Amino acid sequence: MALSGKRIKKDLARFLGEKNVFDDKPTTLVYAKDVMPYELEERNIPYAVARPADALQVSQVLKYANQHQIPVHTHGSGTSLVGLARPKARGIVLDTAAMQSLEVYPERGYFEVGAGKHLAKLRAALAPYKALLPIFPGSEPVATIGGGISVNTSAHAVDSALGKPGDYVLGLEVVLPTGEILETGTESLRRPAGVELTRLLVGGEGLLGVITKVRMRLVPAPDTANIVAYYDKSEEILATVMDMYARGLVPPMFFEYLDEAACKIGYEAVGLAPPTGAVAMMTIHSDTPEGCQAKAERFLAFLQERNPLSAEIMKDDQKWAKVWSSRAEAGNYVYRRGTTFGSEITPRVDKLLDAFADTREFILNLDNKASAQFISFGHIGAPTIHGYAFWPTKDIPSETKKALTLELRNKSEAINAKYGGCGGEWGLTAQRADFLKLRYGPDYYQALVNLKKAFDPHNILNRGNLEGWL
Amino acid sequence: MKLNNNPKEALLADLGKCRACRFCVDVCPTYQASQGVEALSSFGRLQIIRHLLTGQLELDDSLSYALYSCLLCRRCENMCKSKGQAIEICEVIQRGRAYLAPAYAKEVAQNA
Repeated sequence: MALSGKRIKKDLARFLGEKNVFDDKPTTLVYAKDVMPYELEERNIPYAVARPADALQVSQVLKYANQHQIPVHTHGSGTSLVGLARPKARGIVLDTAAMQSLEVYPERGYFEVGAGKHLAKLRAALAPYKALLPIFPGSEPVATIGGGISVNTSAHAVDSALGKPGDYVLGLEVVLPTGEILETGTESLRRPAGVELTRLLVGGEGLLGVITKVRMRLVPAPDTANIVAYYDKSEEILATVMDMYARGLVPPMFFEYLDEAACKIGYEAVGLAPPTGAVAMMTIHSDTPEGCQAKAERFLAFLQERNPLSAEIMKDDQKWAKVWSSRAEAGNYVYRRGTTFGSEITPRVDKLLDAFADTREFILNLDNKASAQFISFGHIGAPTIHGYAFWPTKDIPSETKKALTLELRNKSEAINAKYGGCGGEWGLTAQRADFLKLRYGPDYYQALVNLKKAFDPHNILNRGNLEGWL
Repeated sequence: MKLNNNPKEALLADLGKCRACRFCVDVCPTYQASQGVEALSSFGRLQIIRHLLTGQLELDDSLSYALYSCLLCRRCENMCKSKGQAIEICEVIQRGRAYLAPAYAKEVAQNA
């Protein structure tokens, strides 16, 4: 890379205009920073931040980057919890914020949205059409649709009830790393049945192209009914989920839990009396209120067979809103009180209890810092266990934070590999190259490397993520 | 007032609470007015002040960028209190102004 930052800015400004390229250090530092708790290195800080307005401008940026072999890191809102958002090789950050278009076509049964639209704004814009946006991350206020589709995460939803967002994507506008602009998929609600690029690019984590526009089904929003159930111990909730799947019951669209420690913190945060044990929350969905009620009653009867401390269908919407928000607040308040390092454990469903025990065991016995407290919550119906290590201090050196991040990653990966899972919420590359090799073997990993090379011969896009660079 | 008598240390401690969740970004009116430039959001300002304090950034135009573009509307604080780490973001920015502005004025005077 022989070009200077100033030269790159000048060149990019020819395509994008002066106002849409930044090379000043304050701006480049802000775009380099992500959620990862350790300090930035020089290689993380881009030469320039580019804000293309459409696929044509993205194409111009990528052709230029290819010509000069400059790495390009795509930036939605930088909310990844596993390092996807931090540039690993100094180059250009391609910010999708200017791609904000939205066209809703009820008569065609779909909408088309620019990659930079924030999920909360998209959900609000779809509300008049009574449409469900099937992506539910905690970062909804700022996370982008482009990022959600690139990771293909339903986030907090139960996949076996709602599917993944990619199941609703009809087609994409995408720019290949070498600059070609493609349209994939269909304008019909009948999705292609055979070989089709949409499936590769959804969940591609920006390794194979830059998604600039998404065409997605307008999914009728269901009616919902909510259940809250209290238990002595978290393990009883896990056993209930295992039993739910073993009996072949229809899973709720949300099935969350807070363990004994997390629910105390979450409930106190929202002004509710803390329970004595653990709590589970479920959202049952159907296309009519009567259908919801019937399904909720059947599900409640199932829960009661297993003798929880109590379980009820929530009639008071305001109280339910408080109970539901205690999930998010538990995570926030734990972090307010100190420092946390998280894990994403997604075992084979009949191994939930074993995986939970292993997770607690490793978090209580970390090598890089003693005396962690174990706190867990998560989307247990999915199933996802988020096991957290917590220390009641902010004063942990950056190097220790990096070592702890890596230790938690490696040990949770070992549990996922042991029990046949691979994650399902946070993404599969960035820090996770070793997991891919551990879980699937070197031939699988090499197939991914070969695929990447076929799309991106100069390894321009998101360099370092498939390699697993921290 | 913060109990820590060293204003730089107190600022760094408050800035260290930020988890980089970026929830405050979209509610910031200057972020909206700039059509989505994160350096012109509350999150961006907190990062820039931190880098100014640690020496990663030099004063020059970062000061106006980070500090004086803030409208102190406190929308970010509401977001941080309800969904983040409850940082009093506008107060931190004001304290950043108070701490950094004299050094900037001195630098400008020396270069005049």
